[in-house]
Amino acid sequence: MTGDSRALAELLEESQDLQADALRPTRDALDELVETGHARRDDDPEVSRAFHEEHTRALTTSLSGAALLGAAGGAVLVGALASAASASSPSDIQILQTAASIENLAVATYKTALTLPYIGGSSANPVVTKFAQVTMGQHAQHADAFNAAAKSLGGKAQTKPDPAFVPVVNKAVAGLGSASATQGALGVVGLAMELENIAAETYVKDTVLAKKASNKALFASVMGIEAQHVSVLLAVQALLKAGAPQLISLSPGTAASLPAAAGSLGFPNAFYKTNSAAPAAQGAVK
Amino acid sequence: MSEDTEHTFEGSGSELRAMTMELDELHHDMGMPAMNGALSQMRGTSRRTFLMGAGAAVTGGAVLAVVGSGTLPALAGASTRRLSAADAAFPPPGLKGDLAVAAVAASLENLAVFAYSSGLSAATAGKLGAVPPAVATFATAAKGQHQQHADAWNAVLKSHGKSAVTVTNPALTPTVRADFAKVTDIAGLAELAVMLETIAAQTYQAETAKLQSKAAIGLSSSIQPVEMQHIAILYYVLGKYPGAQTMSGTPLAFNPTSQAV
Repeated sequence: MTGDSRALAELLEESQDLQADALRPTRDALDELVETGHARRDDDPEVSRAFHEEHTRALTTSLSGAALLGAAGGAVLVGALASAASASSPSDIQILQTAASIENLAVATYKTALTLPYIGGSSANPVVTKFAQVTMGQHAQHADAFNAAAKSLGGKAQTKPDPAFVPVVNKAVAGLGSASATQGALGVVGLAMELENIAAETYVKDTVLAKKASNKALFASVMGIEAQHVSVLLAVQALLKAGAPQLISLSPGTAASLPAAAGSLGFPNAFYKTNSAAPAAQGAVK
Repeated sequence: MSEDTEHTFEGSGSELRAMTMELDELHHDMGMPAMNGALSQMRGTSRRTFLMGAGAAVTGGAVLAVVGSGTLPALAGASTRRLSAADAAFPPPGLKGDLAVAAVAASLENLAVFAYSSGLSAATAGKLGAVPPAVATFATAAKGQHQQHADAWNAVLKSHGKSAVTVTNPALTPTVRADFAKVTDIAGLAELAVMLETIAAQTYQAETAKLQSKAAIGLSSSIQPVEMQHIAILYYVLGKYPGAQTMSGTPLAFNPTSQAV
């Protein structure tokens, strides 16, 4: 392993220090929300009905299309969530709360992963460890931003993880206990990748579903970050499966050692899909 | 192109190639239908609906002119008949609102295709020194995706009775063309690619809140994360943190839009 963990540690510290700067665009968006949110509540019955139909359809599509996490729940869950998300509820609030619930779950997942010796311990690849730490911090910032936006519209902050995905994550984490270091690392990477992809796909879809421009901008500022997480995890997964963990490194010369096929593993689709997106109201505060 | 022999990857190369083939199949199985779905939706969108944002979206030339100010890293010279003249009216007269955005987007994608094509040509000619095989694969794949993005935006334009945009972005092209001649190695090419990908990603991101048609928003949002993924891999190639970051390399949780055109 040739990762420059010291440099990454410094980056992490800087990242935390500069959190306020990084959030500036979001704050601007939130300022706009505060100004316009209460004046433009989505209480138009026609708008609410249309949203209800849309999110019910999206919910059905999502739960039938996702591989692992998206399959959580099934038909019963579809009906329960569809009815729980009232047609008269402010849709942007629900969308934001669901986004926060996904971020909360991501934070919890990375936090747990970092307690594992092959992710956060002395036997872990330092690049993987720092990636998990930085990414966990970014998800916490995303959750804060989504909750701030929801609260500015009169909604409650969502402090809980997405209920549909929690059992699946718990089961996956429990299965890591008896795994070897390599299998465990692959399991964590696979789980994280699926969560990140659901987040990215959800926010891509949310840029269309959200009504307020400031919310669209917020989702747009996050969706690409999650997609980058997916890219990194795809590359890490491929190198682990190929038995080449030493190439999980940020040393400048690493690229020269990568096999040709590694160059395109991180971006498999020319257009980001949305069929695994979480239903818009799945994580809304009930 | 030379092939690095210091750290061979014999046993696992075939596995990675197999994964790449699977991903390529997935791309055509799922990515393309997703894009086609968006296009179908757009085609189904009435002309009036798609043009709703006539007064809200970018107005082309004036906005684009802000960008081509010479901060791009160097590239190597190449000629292409698709290169745009800096003084050409752009977007073409008659394109407003979301369709103007589509034209700008197509021109940015054309520029990316040009840059990667030129880079690959220079590499093949031995002008960039040793070229890691993974970098060549990256450039080829990224170029292909940018071509698909350009095709998607042009399909939108054509479905509304407009001509496809086949030129590179007029405001950025002179700078890119001039700087391209200065690139001497893969790192320089990667740095330029980061800049172009960043401009594209941030432009799509900024337009998300401005576009009026849901179909246009959906298409734009389906492309932005892909450009961001290109950036992540480019940073990895350069030995930098593989994600959005400040100029000093500090990771960012929220992607900015300061470089959007």
